[in-house]
Amino acid sequence: MSLPRRLLCVITDEQSDPVELARMALEGGAGMVQLRRKTASGRELYEWALRIQELCREHQALFIVNDRLDIALAMKADGVHLGQQDLPASAARALFDPGAMIGVSVSSAAEAAKAAEEGASYIGVGHIFPTFSKDKPSEPIGTAAIRTIRKAAQLPVIAIGGIDHDNAAEVIRAGASGIAVISAVSDSSDPVAAARELVKRIRQ
Amino acid sequence: MIVSSGGEHLAHSGLVLEQAQALARSAPVIFQLREKMLDTASIWQLCRRIAPLIDSAGSILAVNERFDIALASKAGGVHLPESSCPADAVRKVTQGNLLAGQSVHSELSARRAASAGLDYLLFGPVFHTPSKAPFGPPQGLDQLREICAKVRIPVFAVGGITPEKVPACLECGAWGVTALTPFLDAGSLPETINRFFSFMP
Repeated sequence: MSLPRRLLCVITDEQSDPVELARMALEGGAGMVQLRRKTASGRELYEWALRIQELCREHQALFIVNDRLDIALAMKADGVHLGQQDLPASAARALFDPGAMIGVSVSSAAEAAKAAEEGASYIGVGHIFPTFSKDKPSEPIGTAAIRTIRKAAQLPVIAIGGIDHDNAAEVIRAGASGIAVISAVSDSSDPVAAARELVKRIRQ
Repeated sequence: MIVSSGGEHLAHSGLVLEQAQALARSAPVIFQLREKMLDTASIWQLCRRIAPLIDSAGSILAVNERFDIALASKAGGVHLPESSCPADAVRKVTQGNLLAGQSVHSELSARRAASAGLDYLLFGPVFHTPSKAPFGPPQGLDQLREICAKVRIPVFAVGGITPEKVPACLECGAWGVTALTPFLDAGSLPETINRFFSFMP
């Protein structure tokens, strides 16, 4: 499975109904949904995941689970997204189907090279701009870092962190295959329109 | 006998490591690793470190909920909380590669877990204990007896278990018992395990 170009990945937030958010994101043209909810039980995640997976299939979009490889394996998601504090990509690669989409969050060329060596399918690179979505004590890495990090991994890059309508096109010009957002869609008064506008900007 | 790790309320994993070292010289048990304070990578690293120690004495390391971590760290088992992703879905992935058990607090979930093909159940809290207070008031020995009669897989009694309470649990049909608090002193863990076993025929 390869990563589509000019992809919008919408990540679920900690407050919204994740299934409803996914439905709106897909309606707006998102090509990938990532289920991420740190506080949910395994059963909640499993049930949400099954429903979001079904919506993604209807829209020919990819569905991946953040961190919880167990949930991804149990409900046969398209893949899993791993942070630096999660299982290594090599462990996921060993347990998952050969075609599974395995993403790894990186913020440096060294982490990117390691992710590639361990069998990642793509790298999530960030945070590019200042963001309040996550506790990020570190400085944003900026758009110039995208090309350097992509070169170290030789993998498609999904850029993340503070991406909105105004800077989405710039991120793609800087070498990213796609963008990942949380609040730009989930905090919008009209998530469908917000996703649609982001897709338009990255395809310009 | 299932030994439950006491690291849940601690911000470090030092106790777990000491417990694992003690298990290397103890009678075999299931060691249930519950480390809710740690991130996934830290649990995986901890499991990789303690699995060989626990293995060496014939014990089984059962990772709480995360069968992916169990498989990736070559642990022997997984222990599912009642609110985990469904046991039959877990079984389909792990098949015979992991011993798999689940905590249950009602007859309904006991029956569901047993029909999902799990290897064992944990039922409780049987007696009062501060560590199980969030799961409601004690269910008592009569309820334990009911559950043991209703399912055909081993049931371990949990909640306020001391060596002296073991015979009453076994008399109700329990296969064994689970405890956490008696094992917090890692230095005397092998002796504490032996004391529990001395109350089992």
